[in-house]
Parts: sequence; structure tokens; C-alpha cells
Amino acid sequence: MILTIFKKDLKLFFADKKGALLTFALPILLISLFAFAFGGVGGNRTVKPVQLLVVDNDFTKDSKEVLSNLDALKGVKTISEEKTTAIDLVKKGKYVAVLIVEKGFKDSVALGKTLPLELKYDAAREIEMGMLQSVLIQNLMSSVGKKMISSKMEASFDTNFPGTPKNIKEKAMSLMNSDKDGVNSMMGENTMGLQMTSVIKEDTKKGNLGLIQAVAGTAIMMLLFSIAGIGGGLLDEKEAGTLKRLLYSPVKPTDVLFGKMLAALVISILQLTIMFVFSWMVFGLPIFKDITSLVLMIIATAFAVSSFGIFLVSIAKSRQQLQGYSTIIIMLMSAIGGSMIPLFVMPEIMQQIAVISVNYWGIQGFYDIFWRSLPLTEILPKMGVLVAIGLGMTIISVRLFKKNVLKMI
Amino acid sequence: MIQVTNLSKSFDELQAVKNLSFSIKKGEIFGLLGPNGAGKSTTINMMSTILSSDDGAILIDGNDIKKTPTICKTLIGVVPQEISLYDEFTAYENLLFWGELYKIPSKELKNRIATILELIGLSDRKNDLIKTYSGGMKRRINIASAILHNPKVLFMDEPTVGVDPQSRNRIFEIVESLNSQGMTIVYTTHYMEEVERLCNRIAIIDDGKIVAQGTQTELQKESNVKETIEITFQTIASNQVAILKEAFPSLIQNNQSITVACDANKDLSTIISICNTAKLQIEDLKLNKVNLETIFLNLTGKQLRD
Repeated sequence: MILTIFKKDLKLFFADKKGALLTFALPILLISLFAFAFGGVGGNRTVKPVQLLVVDNDFTKDSKEVLSNLDALKGVKTISEEKTTAIDLVKKGKYVAVLIVEKGFKDSVALGKTLPLELKYDAAREIEMGMLQSVLIQNLMSSVGKKMISSKMEASFDTNFPGTPKNIKEKAMSLMNSDKDGVNSMMGENTMGLQMTSVIKEDTKKGNLGLIQAVAGTAIMMLLFSIAGIGGGLLDEKEAGTLKRLLYSPVKPTDVLFGKMLAALVISILQLTIMFVFSWMVFGLPIFKDITSLVLMIIATAFAVSSFGIFLVSIAKSRQQLQGYSTIIIMLMSAIGGSMIPLFVMPEIMQQIAVISVNYWGIQGFYDIFWRSLPLTEILPKMGVLVAIGLGMTIISVRLFKKNVLKMI
Repeated sequence: MIQVTNLSKSFDELQAVKNLSFSIKKGEIFGLLGPNGAGKSTTINMMSTILSSDDGAILIDGNDIKKTPTICKTLIGVVPQEISLYDEFTAYENLLFWGELYKIPSKELKNRIATILELIGLSDRKNDLIKTYSGGMKRRINIASAILHNPKVLFMDEPTVGVDPQSRNRIFEIVESLNSQGMTIVYTTHYMEEVERLCNRIAIIDDGKIVAQGTQTELQKESNVKETIEITFQTIASNQVAILKEAFPSLIQNNQSITVACDANKDLSTIISICNTAKLQIEDLKLNKVNLETIFLNLTGKQLRD
């Protein structure tokens, strides 16, 4: 008896081919995606070097040597830029950091003084920064370290032991150079004087990076799910016969679609607003620091997400199909767009693919507001992309809906 | 009021409506009678503008529905076969919503809702959620939603499916009342008795074609069938049914009984003679007067509720 029931249930399960496919395809898809995201595949593949902006204000043989040695490293690619532009690009999150070699670099090396070097970085990309910092210090050590130590020791001999013969000084310096601990003690904290500054000014109103990621990432992903559900109401109307009745009345099929989209838009705005207010009340997210940008960003995100919900409905012919499509597409977009895993953790290729996702533009926009504290004019392009995604999806949805509307009744 | 000419519609391989032509006069209750799958709903969907025809033309009050669909939509009301209402809304909220789609001014709409609720006998339940209504009450609100804009033509697609006799009578009264106010009604059903009670003229539709049309009297006059003979046997085998079917092709078998549409004066003796030859022992014999069911049976060889 149990065997009969078991066989029946198995048969029913595989009779729903799409459902069965989803059961197996979705986990495979997500496993592949996460494997890519965490760099667990293609172990021997070439890793794209970190792009480091460099500003050479010293422009001497020594400064050029340091920078060219840096560029020769496998994991770093240097790009020369003017100081203000370079800092601005890092602020906007385009590059991880800028290394500024100030005037007097050569003299500092010659005199064994603290080097006038500054690394201005984007703290939102701390993993890349960690790698870059260690590479930089190693490079400086190998480029100018010995020269600095020699200068420092020579000055020390001259001050403390004036008149020491040249051959004795050279022997002492040679012994010192071969002693690693000795070198380190001479070079202080091993940072070669490299001063590190975050381009995002410390601001008491600034949001916590992890919190921004959690709120923006989760809010957009959950919004996508709830909007897919609201759009699904259209399929419920089809089943209840009210869609057919709506079409008997003097409304155009597109009116039905836009009406539903407007409802989805308003609910999206409401949902995002509630999520941000909650994050402010419970976690202290500074939502009032740039309220205009936040409101506009919420509207742009809500528009893109609502049109996405309508797009899903226009390609699905039943609730079951909608559930399948929305699960796959939303999980995929959320994974590549940075809702599940912060983008800076992902390999370069994944970060490039991320731009196709609504989540990416939404999350980056909220980063700009809460973390980078960019002015509205700098955030507008991201809002523009979200609106463009929304418009594109709406145009496609209208065409598909018109094409499928008669099949729906 | 309605002129349908050479209307055809196919769905892939299936030709659902085949070259249909008929006209409906102003103020008529016109019945489209046919079994399930005959093409009634497809015809109604085309007449109500939501399905385009492959061929042919439909004029409503002189307006071509292909050229002026929006005008035609304001002239017609449709009572769909399904109860197409929002369960989570009250009856009043449903009516308000459907009325607003026709851009009826607010005050006028409210008055109209009150009048219609009175007509359908649900004024006292107007603030109850639709999901709390019985099937018959939902059917009445389903009708009310279609007449808020006072259409010239009302299409009613099997409006009594699944309702109790009391609600069915109430629906008949509503239909008669609307018609008495001058509304032209196109009524589709597979219940012969509904057509007999309500319709002035009838088109019998089968397999996408009109097989007969006219008033009941005209159809009865035109029919060569006068009565139906229903005979019950002790037992009847398939070979014995085959012998009877040779003489009366429209014969319908139902367990141990057969029904034959015929002219009893001429055919009764023939039937009894064949029964004797086929060694069939008659247990009971009934003679029924001709009705639409009989006419339909004779024309199509099918029962309406097949």
C-alpha cells in the first residue's frame, strides 16, 4: 500500500515538469552562483589586479622608481591621475584607493625621514585594502628601504660617533642590513611612514557599513518577492474571472496593467519607507542625513522593482509559473546584485555582471547616501539607471501583456 | 439592435464558431440555446468585444465593434458565467468599483446602486462581504454589476448555473423587469425551460453553427417532430438498440429506456412493431408533447445537457 502511494506521489511530482526542474535546477544554479561569488571555481584562473590610482607630486627618480616597481607587481595596476580627481574617484567608489607621493619624497629617502606618502582609500572595500596595504609596504621596503636605512645609520654615526672611519661605518651598515630585526627596529612600525586615510570623513551621522549592506540588500530582495506577489494578483484576477470582466468595461488592457503597477509602486514605496524607518529606530541608521536623496532613491528603486513585478506577471501564465520564475530570477538578481553577499567580496567578473541587477543599483545608491555621503547630483545617475530599468521593463511588459492578454481570459 | 453576419472563430485546429448570422431586435430577449461546447460563450465573447473574430461582422446599435469597440462597450453589459466579483469587498464596494469604470458621476452612481440593490432584493445586505453571500445572492450581485451603466444590451452567459430554484426564479424576475424597461437581452443557457420562459426568439446552436432560429411557435411549426415517445424495457441489448436506431437515428438511450422524437400518429405503430421484431419487452411507454428539448434532439441527435 505504502509503495503504491509512494509511486503515485512520485508520478505526480514528475508530472509537473517545471516544478520538478525547479526543484533540481534552482539549487544547482545557486550553488554555481555562490561558488563563483566566493571564487571557489577556476582556481588557476588569473586574478584581475587591483587598480590603484597614483599621484606623483615629487616626480623624482626615487618616486618614479617606487611607482614603476609597484606597477610591475602581478596583483597591482597603477593608474596616474591628478590628485583632486583621484580622491573624487575613490570617494565615488570607482577605485579602491589612491597613493599620493608628495613633494620631498626623494629628500626624505635620502635623509631617512618619514616618507611623505598617503594612501587615501574607500573603507567600504576593506578586503581589497588589506591586500593592497601589505603589497605597498613590501614594495616600499624593497624599493627605498635599504637607501633609507643607510641614510639613517650614516646620520646616526655622524651625530653619535663623529669621525668614525668610512670602512667601519660601511661594515656596521652591512651587518645592520643583514639583520632583519635590526632593520625593522630602524624603520619603526614597518609602515615606511605610509599614512592611511579613509576618503569618507568620519561622521557621527554616517551609517555603519554592515548595517547599510544588511538593510539595503535585504530590503530590495524582500521587496522583489513581495512585488512579484502583488503582480501575481493579476493572475488571481484571471482565475476569478474579474480580469475578463474588467476587459468587458471601457478600460484598455494596458490600463489594467498600469493600475496594478501603480499599486505595486505605492506599496513598494511604503515597504521601503517602513524598512528604513525601522532601521533608524532600532539600529540607528541615519535616514535624515540626506532625506531628499533618500526619498528619490526609494522612489527610483520602487519604480524599478514594481516594473519588474509586472514584467514577471506578463511572462507567466499561471501562479505556479510565476512562483517558479520569480524564485529563480529574484534569487539570481539578489545573489549577483549584492543582496546576499557584499559585492566587494566577490571576484571582479561577478562585480561586472552585477550591473544587470536592480539590486546592484539600489544597494549602490543607498551606499552613496549613507556611506559615501555623496551629494544628490552624484547619486542621480544611479537613480537614472533604476528609472531606465523600470521604463525598459514596463515597455517589454506592455508588449507581452498585449500579446498574451487574450490568452489570459 | 444587434446584427451578426458570417461570424467565424477558430482556436488552433478547432473551429468554435462557423459562419454564424442572426439579428436581434430592440427590446427582445434572445436566447442562444445549445449544449456545453456549442460555441455560445465564444459568440458572446466576440459580441462583447473581448475576443476578435476571424471573419464576419458584429454591429451593435449600428456600431461596428471592430471599429468602435469603446463605444460598443458602453452600450453593452455582460453578466459572465463565472461569479466575477471581489470576495473581500462588500456588495456595495463591488458595485461602486464596477460602476466607476464607466465614469458614472458619483451621485448618479450611488442612486443607481440603491435602485439596483432594491431591484435584486439585496439592499439590506449591501454592506456584507461578498464572501459571506450564498451562491444565488452572488449571482444577483453579478447581474447588478453589469447593469449599473444602464446598457442598451445585456449579455447574460448562463446566469443561473449552480443556483437554487428560489434564486433562479428571482433571477428570472430581474431579467423580465430589465426587459420591461426596454433593455435588449441576449441570454445563453443549456436549460430549455429558461429559454421557454424568458425568450421571445431563440437560436439553437450546435457545433458552432445555428441549426434553427425563430420564436418557439415558429420552431415548433417548422419541426417535423410532434411528440417524444419514451419507452422503458425490461432489458435492452446494444444490438436491439442498433435495430431501433436504423429506423429512428435521433433515438437516445438512457439505461433501459429509449427516447424517440417523432410524430406519434405516424410512428408509434412502427416503433412497437420493431420492438416486437427485436423481441423487446415493453415495461412502460410515455408520450410527451414537443418542446425545445425535443426539437434540439431531433435537429442534433444530442441532448441539451450532454
